[in-house]
Amino acid sequence: MILEEILSVFLGIFTDYTLRYVALGSAILGITSGALGCFTVLRKQSLFGDAIAHAALPGIGFAYLFAGVKDSLLLMFGAAIFAWFGGIVALAITSTTRIKQDAALGITLSVFFGLGIVLLTYLQSVGGSSQGGLDRFLFGQAAALIESDVINLGILAAFCFAVLILFYKEFKIITFDSSFGQSLGFPIKYLNALLTSVIVVAVVIGLHTVGVVLMVSMLIAPAAAAKQWTSNLKNMIILSAIFGGLSGIIGSMISSTTEGMSTGPVIVITITVILGISLIFSPKQGYLFKYLRNQRKSQISLNNIKTISDKEMENDGNF
Amino acid sequence: MMEQKSSKNNSSIENEYSVIIKNLSVTYQTEPALWNIDLNFPKGKMIAIVGPNGAGKSTLVKAVMGLVPITAGKVSVFGKPYSKNRDKVAYVPQRGSVDWDFPTDALDVVEMGLYGKLGWFRRPNSKTKNLARECLGKVGLSDYEDRQIGQLSGGQQQRVFLARALAQDAQIYLMDEPLNGVDVTTEKTILSILENLRKEGKTIVMVHHELQTVDKYFDWVVMVNRNLIANGPIKKVFTKTNLDRTYQEKQRMSI
Amino acid sequence: MKKPILTASITAVAIIIGISVVFVENNNDVKINDLENSDGISEKIIVTTTTNVITDLVENIGGDHVSVTGLMGPGVDPHLYRPSAGDVKKLQNADIIFYNGLDLEGKMGDIFVKIGREGTSVWAVSENIPLESLLILNTNGNFDPHIWWDVELWAEAAKVVASGLKEYDPNNSEKYDKNLSQYLNQLEILNSNNLNKINSIPQDQRVLVTAHDAFQYFGHTYGFEELSIQGWSTDSEAGIKEIQNLADEISKRKIKALFVETSISPATIEALEAAVQDRGHDVVIGGELFSDAIGEKGTFEGTYVGAFTHNIDTIIEALK
Repeated sequence: MILEEILSVFLGIFTDYTLRYVALGSAILGITSGALGCFTVLRKQSLFGDAIAHAALPGIGFAYLFAGVKDSLLLMFGAAIFAWFGGIVALAITSTTRIKQDAALGITLSVFFGLGIVLLTYLQSVGGSSQGGLDRFLFGQAAALIESDVINLGILAAFCFAVLILFYKEFKIITFDSSFGQSLGFPIKYLNALLTSVIVVAVVIGLHTVGVVLMVSMLIAPAAAAKQWTSNLKNMIILSAIFGGLSGIIGSMISSTTEGMSTGPVIVITITVILGISLIFSPKQGYLFKYLRNQRKSQISLNNIKTISDKEMENDGNF
Repeated sequence: MMEQKSSKNNSSIENEYSVIIKNLSVTYQTEPALWNIDLNFPKGKMIAIVGPNGAGKSTLVKAVMGLVPITAGKVSVFGKPYSKNRDKVAYVPQRGSVDWDFPTDALDVVEMGLYGKLGWFRRPNSKTKNLARECLGKVGLSDYEDRQIGQLSGGQQQRVFLARALAQDAQIYLMDEPLNGVDVTTEKTILSILENLRKEGKTIVMVHHELQTVDKYFDWVVMVNRNLIANGPIKKVFTKTNLDRTYQEKQRMSI
Repeated sequence: MKKPILTASITAVAIIIGISVVFVENNNDVKINDLENSDGISEKIIVTTTTNVITDLVENIGGDHVSVTGLMGPGVDPHLYRPSAGDVKKLQNADIIFYNGLDLEGKMGDIFVKIGREGTSVWAVSENIPLESLLILNTNGNFDPHIWWDVELWAEAAKVVASGLKEYDPNNSEKYDKNLSQYLNQLEILNSNNLNKINSIPQDQRVLVTAHDAFQYFGHTYGFEELSIQGWSTDSEAGIKEIQNLADEISKRKIKALFVETSISPATIEALEAAVQDRGHDVVIGGELFSDAIGEKGTFEGTYVGAFTHNIDTIIEALK
């Protein structure tokens, strides 16, 4: 019975319009945020990713305020600008005050997000006759994805990957050893800005499916999971993209089985499960195998001690 | 402050010295890190930079490469600004400045030394890989090319950094405490490689932490504590007087 | 980072925050319904309402004797509406408060009870509707709050407003009664017009597909079936399964049109439209309906009668 249901849901990805595009849109998000999230995680910039995701919210409100329409592309543009803006403000706080980076990010995140909520609250009480529903970008509304939305997301994702491929070695070197990269002549300020920009684009892709609040998990969890399985950057990026994409598809499938189940949070739960499995079961670094190896090591030590003490006793007996 | 012999004309100075530093000052916010440094690095010498903690030794090296903003003064490398002669300088940063947990192996790190020559958009290929392999062999780590760098010992990591610098095939090697915390074998390997480079006429500049070995390993010393205290051949300059002056507690800015 | 750039950034952020604050302050002034008082002395009863359909009702019954402030404008979703500090002040300053009740203003909590205890006159316009006239929600067994789309029930609400005003201001009781009877007349005419128009829609097309379930009373009165994506409150999720089920249903029964609502994003209905069309049935979006709010003040659709008429005409045009 359950198997039948799983099969029918799986087939639904190909046959059912809604599930097909929701899964596709979610997969696009997962793949993009998975790949780019590797750099976020390796640069220890997870909080930065969270800050720019939250900073996108007021951008949506302002875009509606000034343009007055719920044109999807315009709202995305507003979100991108403010997400970028949030990043700049965070960096500005760090470089001009004595406030450390994590505090600066926390401040930026809260202020921008608060501004966004104030704006949405203001819009809810005034708004023309068609502003309703801007708060769907808090947690996403994946169920409303249609073909044209997914095409737009695909274009954005293609852009991200083009940049990633073109600048792969540059991103690698500024993440691993930025001062060495700088000594070779790579302009790290501009490269950092470029990397931030593609992450902003990933955030914009994520607004529809998981929303502002949960976006950070899509940047971090796939990469953290992938890191457990490989110590090669290229493989890590590929694996992370696969994990992200899978969680998008599986999350969509699961959320389509029950009425009233929101897709975004289910995707996040899925990738978290993948992360949990990776933490425990990965051969080199997983907890389970580390535990077993330690057990074996201490067993071997015990055996050695036993052998030695046995020999001692033999010798004693012979004297 | 050391007076340079200015009787020779400019081109002559450039023939003798690979790096010329004039009047260099570096300030972080309001703290002066380096003040009024006039200094030349002679070619074909093993040069040690010594000084107490916070004296600006790393800053000096970084300032030569423009990695920190220069408040005043000028640096020229083989007669031109650093940005025009980058390919002649190889930088070996401090081992602790990098997260060795990064998912990459020894060969890959060495290959990064060639990214500058590749320039934008071109990708590493079999040529760069083979070159990297060669350099890894020179430091004795051929068997470790697939090893994830976090699994290497401190000495091995330092040798990987050196191999990366070798891959750049530079004329000047700027190194930040490369002998800090390495095993004896590594130290021997590094020093012998550097000595060979020196014999070829390259300039080796090393921020060095261990005063006892300065006269053993180097033939030129730069003693700095925000100001330039002394600069010259070891036998002339590495004296107790200069050491006392360098390592006294509070160094006042002398203009 | 260069000093000028960061200074500019921080200044820009400060300016934007400043503008927002100004906007919010202006907004507070704009909303107050300021009728010119010919007496020279402001003797108007200060009334605060929630949805703008209630605002319209109170203005019709109260006439020149009331100064009404509605918390929610056109296009505002009452299910999700959270009162701001300014809103609470408006409620506290009011002489009388009229709200819908039956949990329509779901996120406003027990603020009405609290303010009622402080002595303000608080009325839920739905309070006199006999229990057997109220429809039950399938999802949780509670009462459906969208009573205003049944003209007879809205007539009951009008009576509550009149009672409330008479109790507070007995001197003007006659006026209020007169306004009430005039208004009840209008409602009767509206209702019979509606019934006439509805006849032009074939029986099998009498299905109203909307984003959320605001039209049960409408359906009950005029013989329509109500299908929706989100159920009775926009607080619930629009899930994939809802869209799939609805798409199957709509294409099977060949329903001609879907409708978007003015207070809700059209995204879910558009997604439903695409899903139905993919199944081979050529459904369209028939138009925009007023569901939880009526139109802009000063327009025909800004009155209850006008909004209802707009809805009926739109539905007929799409489904006949």
